[in-house]
Amino acid sequence: MVKRLTPWLLAAPATLLVLAFLILPVGSTLATTFLEPKGWIAPYVTFFNSGVRRTVLYRTIEISVITTVLSVIIGFIAAYVVAHVPGRLKSIMIIAAVFPLLTGVVVRSFAWLILLGKNGILNSALLGLGLISQPLSMLYTEGAVIAAMVYLFVPLMILTLAGVLEGIPKDVLEAATSLGATPFGVFRQVILPLAMPGLIVGAVLVFTGSFTSYATPQLLGGEKQMMMGTLLYQRAMVTFDWVGASTVAAIMVVVTFVIVFLMTRLARRLNPMVA
Amino acid sequence: MTTKLHPLLIVFAAVIFAILVAPLFIILGAAVSDTSFLTFPPQGFTMRWFTNIFDITAFRTTAITSLQVAVTGTFLALLIGIPAAYAMNRFRIRLPSWLSNVFVLPILVPEIVLGFSLVKSITIGLELPVFATLLIGHTLLVLPYAVRVVGASLASFDFSIEEAAISLGCPPLKTFFTVVLPNIGAGVVAAFILAFITSINDVSTSLFLTGPGVSTLPIQIIAHMEQFFDPTIASVSVLLMILTVGVMAIVEATLGLTFLTK
Amino acid sequence: MTKNLRLLASALAMGVAFAASAVSAEAKTFTISWWGYNGDKLNANIIEPFKKICGCDIVFETGNNADRVNKLKLRGGKGVDVIYLSDSFSQAGIADGLFLKIDGSKLPNLADLYDLAKDPQGGYGPAYTIGRVGIVYDAAKVNPAITSWNDLWRPDLKSAVSLPGITTTAGPMVVMQAGKHAGVDAFTNADKAFEAVTALKPNVAKNYNTGSELVNLLSTGEAKVSIAQDFTLASMKAAVPTMTWATLKEGDIATLNTVNIPKGSENVDLAYQFINFILSKPVQQLEAEQGVDAPVSKKVELTPEQAKIWTYGADTIAKLTLLNYAKMNDAKMDWIDRWNEIFSK
Repeated sequence: MVKRLTPWLLAAPATLLVLAFLILPVGSTLATTFLEPKGWIAPYVTFFNSGVRRTVLYRTIEISVITTVLSVIIGFIAAYVVAHVPGRLKSIMIIAAVFPLLTGVVVRSFAWLILLGKNGILNSALLGLGLISQPLSMLYTEGAVIAAMVYLFVPLMILTLAGVLEGIPKDVLEAATSLGATPFGVFRQVILPLAMPGLIVGAVLVFTGSFTSYATPQLLGGEKQMMMGTLLYQRAMVTFDWVGASTVAAIMVVVTFVIVFLMTRLARRLNPMVA
Repeated sequence: MTTKLHPLLIVFAAVIFAILVAPLFIILGAAVSDTSFLTFPPQGFTMRWFTNIFDITAFRTTAITSLQVAVTGTFLALLIGIPAAYAMNRFRIRLPSWLSNVFVLPILVPEIVLGFSLVKSITIGLELPVFATLLIGHTLLVLPYAVRVVGASLASFDFSIEEAAISLGCPPLKTFFTVVLPNIGAGVVAAFILAFITSINDVSTSLFLTGPGVSTLPIQIIAHMEQFFDPTIASVSVLLMILTVGVMAIVEATLGLTFLTK
Repeated sequence: MTKNLRLLASALAMGVAFAASAVSAEAKTFTISWWGYNGDKLNANIIEPFKKICGCDIVFETGNNADRVNKLKLRGGKGVDVIYLSDSFSQAGIADGLFLKIDGSKLPNLADLYDLAKDPQGGYGPAYTIGRVGIVYDAAKVNPAITSWNDLWRPDLKSAVSLPGITTTAGPMVVMQAGKHAGVDAFTNADKAFEAVTALKPNVAKNYNTGSELVNLLSTGEAKVSIAQDFTLASMKAAVPTMTWATLKEGDIATLNTVNIPKGSENVDLAYQFINFILSKPVQQLEAEQGVDAPVSKKVELTPEQAKIWTYGADTIAKLTLLNYAKMNDAKMDWIDRWNEIFSK
């Protein structure tokens, strides 16, 4: 009997914390959108009736998906190298990966302004090399937002994956190679499935992080690249319309859940052991 | 595992790390610039934006609060998060698969909404003191890293080793600490780093959870920036980086590199 | 491994001890809600002297306007004894019934204030400082000089303007001025006003949300004209020495910071005493001299050098336009939607 309960007992404290301080409070906040006098669907109809809000939703999904894919690929390669270099170099690389996370969003976006701005380093270099004749407008584009977010999430990916990739026993790889597998075959058949739990965790963290992000898109994309986080902020903190804010939040939660579910399904097809 | 790396991989990784680190030189330059605004390349050299941090009382008091919350919250999250991650990987078939998604919720729910809901339920509903609310909020906020990042490491752990130890008469708890934990050390450290940084940088949730007498460093920085646009914020970032190198060095010296990188 | 464990345990214990020490400290206290910048100067000029007067402990709630109003609302007006807010947010608090009506007879120093500051929001808290919103431009790059709000629409300013975002203090003022540009009142004819905003769009490089963002945009040359609050001028000048505050023939718009007593205040008498204290001449004089806040007390006298950074003097103040914040807050939701339609599609 005790043995049957062990897994639940171990998971209980964390589960209860989430239940008591997240699911119940947030659930009751989101529930207010369904108690509208005009009918529970009314706030949602209002939301989707606005062209700009639909645009913002699609844009947010698009930016988050691209950010996630790029972060996963770049982070995976970097983490693979981190997992394979000798000890001291490894800790230096981990510290280097952590550094970008320690800068506040305002100084970080200032750095991007210096790099990508009209009079920025990149434009000056391109002009100097004669590759362009006029400064390019790189800021306040979807590309700038994605670049800034990938920059922010690659370290997270590296930290998550380095431990997982290190955990892959060396003899497994050697066995595969000695059995005649090509390097790509080893990657596809051995490394990728074994790294899948880490990849999926990283991808989920990156996707949710970019989907709810607020400051980075605002500073690097401006209003032209407005994302859901800003819509939410406008309602909650400017007009104090918490029903409207909760509507936006509920839509964000549902969309994120659907996409996280799809990602997990995809991962499970690649490795049935993924939780 | 140490295997040969393809030269192309090394070049690629070098480029990634160069890009990751490059903007930090801009921030460092801006932090020592002898101007009252952020600029690069720096004009002149001054340390006054660093001394400014120590001169402003509120930076000091809120930094202490932030550290208390981040350290305590991260440890609490690991304390309850590691057993949960362990249970989900060790007893996979006996726990429902949706449970792992429950632990992503704290980062999935937009932070402002989380903060708002927490104030409503804890500060007002339970009448807990401000600091306790802040601590609960932060523990919750970093729990996903504790559960999921450690869980990712556990997923590739071979539990038959643990069973072997137990069948040889080693008590379960001791087995966990001597067999399982050392094997997922890198995951725990990664989780710790991510959780700690998330907590120490958090603005949106903390905006709601702070209250009379209690505030955190990022909020103080934002308050400062409403009125002043000087490079103090850049120097705060630089100080945080120096602090991190220091902490990592201590980890390396006391626990040895092996702990950090398994 | 046991070494690691011991380390972990002691660190945890330390954390808990920290936590415990921070929880205590609940004595008889006076609580002030404000932004939290300039803390050391405010402490010397206001808090320490006031502690002597009241013999009480003082604690602070800090944060931006929006989150402090949100929190006060959640707590039903309880938790703080006096709250500093910028005018549009104090109006939002008034609309939600969060504040007590002010009894002017308990604030003798009100008599010394400019009329504008005495009772700006219909029976609620007075303003303790004043500022203005106007146009700034880089005189080296913008020629001829800007002399009217209408100049923002000038064709030579293509992609050169940074407007304050609709959610900032100055944002809705853009809409008001756009209405005037189109010859209508933005409150009654939002369609026309927003047509004028649309016409302004080609001139917009990027809108800003914080003062530091604006200073960055100007210093890196991304923008050369903006609508801004006066307290940002010194920083803009430091970054771009040729930045100039435009003299507009229609005049600038006033912004006020107010102090109010929340209806859940447990120390109402102290709150009156406090407000009266910060409106007193010596405090106002000190704050103005040290560059903390512009004075609203007519008794404050400043040298031209000291006055340079402030909205100061009866003449200047008489020329300012005051907004109807009650109307503006009612229109805000609709304006934000319309604004998003223009700038975020």
